[in-house]
Amino acid sequence: MMLNKILARSTVHKIKCLLLSTQQPNQNRLFSFTAHRANKDTFNIDNEKTQKFLESIRLEFYNLRSNPTTQTLPRLNRLDGVVSALEQYRVLKSKFASKEDIDNEKDEEMRQLLMEENEVYGDLLRQTEEALLNQMLLLTEDQTFNSLIFEVNAGAGGQEAMLFARELFDMYTSYFDYNGWTFEIIDDGETDIGGLRHANVIVENRDAFHQLQYEAGVHRVQRVPATEKSGRIHTSTASVTVIPRPDDIEVNISEKDLKIETKRASGAGGQHVNTTDSAVRVVHLPTGLAVECQAERSQLKNRERALQRLHAKLVQRELESKEANEKRTRKSQQGNLNRNEKIRTYNFVQDRITDHRITNGTVHNLKEFLDGGEDLERLIQRVANEYRRAKLIDLINDFEALHGVTEKDSMKKANELI
Amino acid sequence: MLKLVAQQLRHQMRLISRASDVSYTKATASVTSGVSSSQEQQQSTQPPSIEVNKALEGWPEKLRKAGVGDIDFNLKCLVAHVLGRKFNTVKDYNNLLFTDTQMQNFERLCEARCARMPLQYILGEWDFMDLTLKTSPSVFIPRPETEEFVSKVIEVYRDVKEPIKMLEVGCGSGAMSLAILHALPNVQSTAIERGNAATELARENAKLVGLESRFIVYHHTMEEDKYLPSELANETYDLIIGNPPYVKSEEFPLLQPEVVCYENLNALDGGPDGLRVARLVFNLACKHLRPGGKLWLELGEDHPPLVQTIMDTQYEGRLRYIAGYKDQYKRNRFVEIEKPETAN
Ligand SMILES: C[S@@+](CC[C@H](N)C(=O)[O-])C[C@H]1O[C@@H](n2cnc3c(N)ncnc32)[C@H](O)[C@@H]1O
Repeated sequence: MMLNKILARSTVHKIKCLLLSTQQPNQNRLFSFTAHRANKDTFNIDNEKTQKFLESIRLEFYNLRSNPTTQTLPRLNRLDGVVSALEQYRVLKSKFASKEDIDNEKDEEMRQLLMEENEVYGDLLRQTEEALLNQMLLLTEDQTFNSLIFEVNAGAGGQEAMLFARELFDMYTSYFDYNGWTFEIIDDGETDIGGLRHANVIVENRDAFHQLQYEAGVHRVQRVPATEKSGRIHTSTASVTVIPRPDDIEVNISEKDLKIETKRASGAGGQHVNTTDSAVRVVHLPTGLAVECQAERSQLKNRERALQRLHAKLVQRELESKEANEKRTRKSQQGNLNRNEKIRTYNFVQDRITDHRITNGTVHNLKEFLDGGEDLERLIQRVANEYRRAKLIDLINDFEALHGVTEKDSMKKANELI
Repeated sequence: MLKLVAQQLRHQMRLISRASDVSYTKATASVTSGVSSSQEQQQSTQPPSIEVNKALEGWPEKLRKAGVGDIDFNLKCLVAHVLGRKFNTVKDYNNLLFTDTQMQNFERLCEARCARMPLQYILGEWDFMDLTLKTSPSVFIPRPETEEFVSKVIEVYRDVKEPIKMLEVGCGSGAMSLAILHALPNVQSTAIERGNAATELARENAKLVGLESRFIVYHHTMEEDKYLPSELANETYDLIIGNPPYVKSEEFPLLQPEVVCYENLNALDGGPDGLRVARLVFNLACKHLRPGGKLWLELGEDHPPLVQTIMDTQYEGRLRYIAGYKDQYKRNRFVEIEKPETAN
């Protein structure tokens, strides 16, 4: 008896769904039954302007897909995630019985059934909603770069700052490893105390910028330095800079522009001497840039590495001049790339890390954190989502400002005509 | 005469390094000869307690007095070796500690370096291009310029899709062949080598880098009319390479102690003009290069023009000089020679 009812009910339901999905502008129904949930928060997926925004994304996706080109492919891939999540979400939503539906149901047993079903769908719906949200957040990372230059500079605090800079740099290179990103250290200016004045590295991965950009800024350390006898807590800083490398920046180095120096330049060479002088210095004559390398025992390897570093340095130069130009014209877009913003504190005395950009931004266990693994990943993710959320809201508001009004206008006009 | 002096000097040096070996054996009461095995035994039982920065004290000065160059680099190689770490993972010595045994090892090795034993022999291994190969006393240590030479050959053959049958004359540790085999999967290399120790080492290195299936080494001394071992008498090759001994007799007094006292003189001695062995290789190439095949040799400075003259006057129609190439120090060092298609 009960079973029959369930079957009947679900069949009815299915049919209802089918009907609904063919019935074209069904969004209104979709919104109305959860209207109580769509409050002032622009970010709610169910509110009208978000849905309009999503619908425009959906249309854009199908337009692009009907005629994809190499230029539109990245955008298409980006939208793909949102649209499939959105469609799944809509299907589930349509199976969800509204409050009205339930209230209007006279049969008590049926009402019970509806509520049970809603519970099951509710879980699924929440999951899908989360997936959709994540996809939407990723939508805000509208710029993708093949690679970037990541820099750490010791700031105020002398030796202690340099030691901290070293720790930060090691943390990040471990983090690159953790993510499986390829990277090449350009400069690793070790000081004799084992600290770091300045170091930079090229990271080659299309996802790296989306995460690392949020690490740019001033990092602060509070602890008793190893050298401090009186036990006084010092505060020192190091800063992180992230420079994305657009695809159109190409640097070609021609052999004739290079002067390659090794420590041994005279004498017969070859079988006559047994030399281990593997240090190589490469000078780029047009720019005067020089790089040295003795990281490997093989001279040839050192030369290759020196050339890679030189290449990276030239790219960096190119980028910096390009960035300087752009900064003048688009100051406002800098946003989260502000290098002077104090973003995070590493407090050794309390064994905590506090990120100043998010609420409840304190986490514990510095040792784990500095390993550059999961702990760092999680914090970066939280910060990133905070920024993305804000950007997404802007995006939706901008969209409404552009389209919302015109639609209302046309509705008015349409009404007037009737 | 000069050779005699050199050989005596070499003998003396051997005694010095052996003497330090003996004292080491006594000091550690260990009968194992390898450094690494005794090192491993000790590491588990002894806590490291000696700061590397302390252990280094005095050595730069001693090495300088002994006439060793590039001291910081030498020391860093030795420290990394004693600690059992890869060279490129040691950034500085802060927080690095030796155990007592490591400390003794380190001092023994520094002592050997002061006696001008080549660093590569002391470490028992060295890097050649992408490979880390074993070294063995008296077997010629590959030079940095040879990396350049090999890169050049690799570059030229990189786009050849067909199988390449290569012969190396005097392969020493095997470095040249192995680097080429490592870079180019379509190459098959056969080598001849007169030295026993070198032949063994080349085979060992081939196994070490997993290339033994494409590298066959014959213990054979190339001589007039007996260029290759009898089983290869009728073979021809697409490519012949070599770094034949090319030091001129008159240059022997100029050689570094590391070279003249420790490396096998058969690997260096090129006769009055440095081309004695190279001439044998030319004759070998006439016979064992296929028409259109190439001979690439690393030689001494100023050899290439000489080789060009020799080709033009004595090998006309049989071999043709194509070009000489400079090393990074702008010395004309590498020659490319072709057996004309019309030759037989
Ligand atoms: C300068 S070493 C080069 C070794 C190796 N190719 C390298 O570049 O490291 C020359 C080698 O040729 C070998 N050799 C010299 N004369 C030879 C001969 N007549 N036949 C075979 N091998 C010879 C020596 O024993 C030595 O190992």
